[in-house]
Amino acid sequence: MTEYQKPLPDPDDELTAPFWCAARRHTLVVQQCTACSYLRWPPGPLCPECQAPGGVWVEVRPTGSLWSYAVYYRALDPAFKEDVPYTVGLVELDDGPRMYGPVIGEVGTFAVDQPVRAVFEEVIPGVTLVRWELVSAEMH
Amino acid sequence: MSAVSKTAIVGVGATEQGEIPGQSGDEIAVRAAMLALADAGIDKRQIDGLVTCKPPRARVRTGIDEDLGRLLGINPAFAKTLEYGACGFSLHVAAMAITSGLANTVLLTYGTNQRSARANFSRPIGGSSDWSAMAGLVHVAGPAAMAARRHMQVYGTTDEQLGWVSVAQREWAASNPMAIFREPMTIDDYLAQPYIVAPLRRADLTMISDGGAAVVLTSAERAADFRKAPVHVVAMAQQSALRNDQDKDRLMRPWIADIARRVYAGAGLGASAIDLAYLQDATSVWVLQMLEWFGFCGVGEAGPFLAAGHTRPGGALPVNTNGGQLSESYMWNWLHLYEAVRQLRKECGERQIAKADVALHAQTHDFFKGAATILSIHDQS
Repeated sequence: MTEYQKPLPDPDDELTAPFWCAARRHTLVVQQCTACSYLRWPPGPLCPECQAPGGVWVEVRPTGSLWSYAVYYRALDPAFKEDVPYTVGLVELDDGPRMYGPVIGEVGTFAVDQPVRAVFEEVIPGVTLVRWELVSAEMH
Repeated sequence: MSAVSKTAIVGVGATEQGEIPGQSGDEIAVRAAMLALADAGIDKRQIDGLVTCKPPRARVRTGIDEDLGRLLGINPAFAKTLEYGACGFSLHVAAMAITSGLANTVLLTYGTNQRSARANFSRPIGGSSDWSAMAGLVHVAGPAAMAARRHMQVYGTTDEQLGWVSVAQREWAASNPMAIFREPMTIDDYLAQPYIVAPLRRADLTMISDGGAAVVLTSAERAADFRKAPVHVVAMAQQSALRNDQDKDRLMRPWIADIARRVYAGAGLGASAIDLAYLQDATSVWVLQMLEWFGFCGVGEAGPFLAAGHTRPGGALPVNTNGGQLSESYMWNWLHLYEAVRQLRKECGERQIAKADVALHAQTHDFFKGAATILSIHDQS
């Protein structure tokens, strides 16, 4: 197996460690404001709606729809050269927040607003990344 | 809220574009400044304001007023450097300085050697950059491709319709000696290009270039004292979208419509009164979006509008008659202003538009900010 060359998170980062910890358990979490209940993504030190500090991490459904996607035929970051063509999507979670992430599956099968679900993949020991795949009709 | 500026552009300058090896961005900015002063028919002692900006993604200190003021040998009453100074944002600061009385005549100058210096644009842009980098979502092409894809699927826009942005601009560039990309490109040539980040091709993306451009702005009452006919800054408007990732339609940038509403209100006119439009084109998608948000067609209708040829030479709404960033040069919208001023002064030769009295000049800073200016040969439109 070749070494993973692409950008990796610091799973011990103070702000985002709960996300990576949950990903290792194959669950998806985002921050929720304890004052106004707003679900926020990406993570931050305070609530952008009501400015209350902190927040708690809560599990959200690992499903959503593909708001849009881009298919990279050129590895504009050379670390991705083995992957082209690869797809990055903007996923609108069924619980509200929107996340960018890799979309796995055959290029050409994707369409805007299609349902997707999270796939958890351990890329190196201790680091599990979240990717997205289409929920095909027969799986409903 | 709209701003009526009572200022006028009385000089513009531009250096050669493309590759300028062996010169710093500041040296290029000084050369552009001297050209603008010559165009205005003044020397540096007649300016009392300096507005500069840092080029995007520069590896070294560039574009700081302290450095450029030293190289220009001036002690201006007002000097300011913008962190993000794509042309309109800089122009508005200069106009504010003049209308507030901080300065009478402001020199704005921009220079970059970003091509020769190999500035790295293949990094994530926008809000959640670490998350984008992990997903391989780098370069403006990525989010722009997402915006285009969404537009295509929601409104039925096609590759070919989007292609008319860059094909039309290439047609304009053919008669602009300063343009870097002048070789003919048909819509079939466009469609034959491979995708870089689908649905975007090479021709949909601005290439990085070296170059410089500069402007002299003064108060409307002083403008008559200069050598050339003034081009009046009739109205200005801006909008920021700093909520960023929290906004649902972030990639579609609907807040540009707020800029349009305000800048038209400030000028007392609407989209139908615009003779020429200069829409900053980091990607072709930005032109697609701005045609709609500035009201030249309905929301979702930019595809058919483009395919009908309205923005091409001979069309009803000439857009980016210099070739834009896609064909002329990546000058952060400064050359769009250079072209707009010269069109309004009727100096554009073969590509001169017969009725060139009122122009819109607009740009955005990725998904965060936008600015627009109405320029006119009259002091009130």
